[in-house]
Amino acid sequence: MDEHQKVKNRLDPVIPEIAEWPIYKLSQDKESFLSETISKTVDSLLESYDSADKLHSELKSVLYQEKNRLTKEPWKSDTPEERIFWSEIKRQILLSDKIEDDKKKYKTDKKILQSILDFYANEIVANFDIKKYSIARRALPFLFSRLMNASPGNKFRFLFNSKKTIYDKFNISGPIDHIRNLAKKGTVIVVPTHFSNIDSPTIGLVIDIIGLPAMTYGAGINLFTIGILSRWLNDLGAYKLDRRRKNKPYLELLKNYSTVAITRGAHSLFFPGGTRSRSGQIEKKLKLGLLGTALEAQRQNLLSFQEDTAKKIYIVPVVLNYHFVIEAASLIDQHLSYEGKEQFIAERNDFSTSYKLLKLIFKVITANPGMTISFGNPMDVVGNEVNFEGNSINNIGQAVSIKDYFTRNGVMTEDKQRDQVYTSILGDKIVKQFLTANTVLSSHLVSFVAFEMIQKEFKNLDLYQLLRVPVDEIEIDFEEFKVEFNIIKEKIIDLFAEGKLRLHDRIKGDNEDTINHGLKNLGVYHPSMPLVKNTNGNIITQDMKVLYFYHNRLLGYGLEQHFS
Amino acid sequence: MDSNNISPKYGVIGAGSFGIAVANLLAQNGDVLLYVRSEDQKSEINTKHTLKSYSMDERVVATNDLKEIADECYLLFPILPSDNFVEMLEELAPYLRPSHVLIHGTKGLYTPKKITSDVSLKKEEVYTMSELITIKTGVLRVGCLAGPNLASELAENQPAATVIASSFNEVIEMGQQALKSSRFQVYGSNELLGVELAGVLKNYIAIASGMLTGLGYGENARALLITRGMAELIFIAKALGASEKAFLGLAGIGDLIATCNSPKSRNYRVGLMLAEGKKLDEIIESIGEVAEGIKTLQIVRALQKYGYRAPLAEILYKIVYENLPIKKGIDFLMRFTADKDAEYIMS
Repeated sequence: MDEHQKVKNRLDPVIPEIAEWPIYKLSQDKESFLSETISKTVDSLLESYDSADKLHSELKSVLYQEKNRLTKEPWKSDTPEERIFWSEIKRQILLSDKIEDDKKKYKTDKKILQSILDFYANEIVANFDIKKYSIARRALPFLFSRLMNASPGNKFRFLFNSKKTIYDKFNISGPIDHIRNLAKKGTVIVVPTHFSNIDSPTIGLVIDIIGLPAMTYGAGINLFTIGILSRWLNDLGAYKLDRRRKNKPYLELLKNYSTVAITRGAHSLFFPGGTRSRSGQIEKKLKLGLLGTALEAQRQNLLSFQEDTAKKIYIVPVVLNYHFVIEAASLIDQHLSYEGKEQFIAERNDFSTSYKLLKLIFKVITANPGMTISFGNPMDVVGNEVNFEGNSINNIGQAVSIKDYFTRNGVMTEDKQRDQVYTSILGDKIVKQFLTANTVLSSHLVSFVAFEMIQKEFKNLDLYQLLRVPVDEIEIDFEEFKVEFNIIKEKIIDLFAEGKLRLHDRIKGDNEDTINHGLKNLGVYHPSMPLVKNTNGNIITQDMKVLYFYHNRLLGYGLEQHFS
Repeated sequence: MDSNNISPKYGVIGAGSFGIAVANLLAQNGDVLLYVRSEDQKSEINTKHTLKSYSMDERVVATNDLKEIADECYLLFPILPSDNFVEMLEELAPYLRPSHVLIHGTKGLYTPKKITSDVSLKKEEVYTMSELITIKTGVLRVGCLAGPNLASELAENQPAATVIASSFNEVIEMGQQALKSSRFQVYGSNELLGVELAGVLKNYIAIASGMLTGLGYGENARALLITRGMAELIFIAKALGASEKAFLGLAGIGDLIATCNSPKSRNYRVGLMLAEGKKLDEIIESIGEVAEGIKTLQIVRALQKYGYRAPLAEILYKIVYENLPIKKGIDFLMRFTADKDAEYIMS
């Protein structure tokens, strides 16, 4: 098994017939899938409302929140039918208010809960259309590769120029054969890092390139209102999430949607950080809710089948890296205004129309000299490594049975609190894998070194003061830069040798070459450049915050302490 | 062993005074398999139901075989000195599966570094016993047992209570079912690190308490030592990533009061004998079993170099290892700037 297997062309699909893909089967069995999801949700909700009063007040609170959402935070995705639906629910709740008999009231409320969940489930549910998928999988690489050959000054020639293929720009690495094998044996959950809106199409395309079947994926409902994209996503197996909704029945339903999809063998994709990393740093803390559904599904598989036939679930971390993240400026602003005591005004940067989003995709792809997609080592749901055959190998090298983690005194038991602890252990393991799978890009390395040098130069300032130092007061002597760069690069190479991170090819060569490559490619399309050489040949910055953003990508390795 | 109908079987590893006490407590709720090293000990327990001066419940059966104990029991209680802990885990690990649950009762710390007078330790170089279990074996469900549990009082069946701490509620429940009885209350806590550190760190305070008695000081001095000692322990525990919560419970203040007042505590006796002018080597020999406090003291002192403020540990270390006269040490501590009282709960 080659850790750093590189993908140079499209691989044969693991399952050749799309009609055999789990995601397609799920879409075909939509009705039974939804009814299973809803009935699981009803059961678990009713278990938590131990009295008729609690159920009734929960329903009222859902109604209140939904009414609020529709009036105070309306989105284009809200349909007129929805208003009608909630008015009807309101009428039913008012009727239930008047019922005096507790049992009768509970029965009525249960029905109301059921219809709310029906409504939600039908809104969430994904579709998978073989024809549309086939068109998309042909069109997307074509578009990507054409876009990537466009030169910035000549936006029209790209359509007729096909010198480079997509594989030259997509730098895909990792134990690909291993992952492909696991997709045959069990259910794969891909968990990527997230720092750009481009991540979803990128990972979707890469999954197809390496021959894995399409994956179930939750996309923000706001994306579904963007013209072409909405039809695309809906038919490509994406289910819809409404981030405004925080009510318990909705969240519980979403979790069950994911759990049931996984138990039915649907390979799934979640961004375990929840949203894009605002700081640019690789995710340190994960959102455990969705991740927990993988564990839940594994336990249910073990309960419903004999151990040797129960499908095993495999977690596959992925790290995505680009030299250029178009949203860098707005992301880091949001990060600073959230974290900071100082006021940074966060500008809104919503890609709310198809045109804006396509423009983003266009810009990112044309500008990026390479996109790096690094797959980490697959794990089971408690974070053990798995071997090629899919068997779990624990921290001391023993082959272990996944079932044993869910037994008490030898008997399988359901224990939500236990699941939570395991999920947080899994989360920590994923974070570790992110660090070791991270491929260091030349541009991230130059920004790391430059920012650290500036920080040491102004060591009396705190971060917020530092970020406000006028940029014309900052200049790094190129010779001094090279000295520090060499030190850090050597450390990076040591870490690489220990298997603690991966290196982009351009880092392996001559130092000056790496520096120039990094400077040339770092955030090329930002209106103010994070790093440039001035006329004296020294390094200056035009935007400290964006520089800080790219610098953050290399936090977590303790490199800060090695500067001279 | 896959059936729930037969009575449960619990494993205890280590037959020191506390291990024996725990085995006898467990025997009230099920069968117990006790691991001992020597063949002699095994036959003494299995034929006479005694070991040294302790009597053993008849439901306690001894074995020399770690595999047997792992095969027969899901719930294991390793209770042995921290010095032998790693070695035991390495021997036991091949027989353990993820279905095992381990609740340890060892109040010590471990570092892979050799401890010398000039060594300094980073936080990452010091492990609690539950951390060791998850590193050296494949078991994830771990917990610890801590609290005012002087073995000799437990042996006399006097009323007492303990805390079981674990991230897993299930581990706490299993431990409670196994240990509780009409004379023995079992509380639960999810603050595993805090409870472990409370149990471990208090040992050097107990040494100091023994010294005060040896010097003929009374209860004002001891109360001062306990409360200010507790502040120091909380400071260290917070720096190591634990919360102060556990220190206000049985494993913290509870254990501190018991061990600082009792000549039955080994650590207390070490302090007492030091104050009487005995040398450390003689003391260790006369006590027979290890006093964890001595090793804890070395580790805390070595950690201090990274900014963990621990004046009491520093002075004690000088007294124990560098022949600082005890009176001088105490005088020094009395001159230590008085800070705000109970500052650890006032922020």
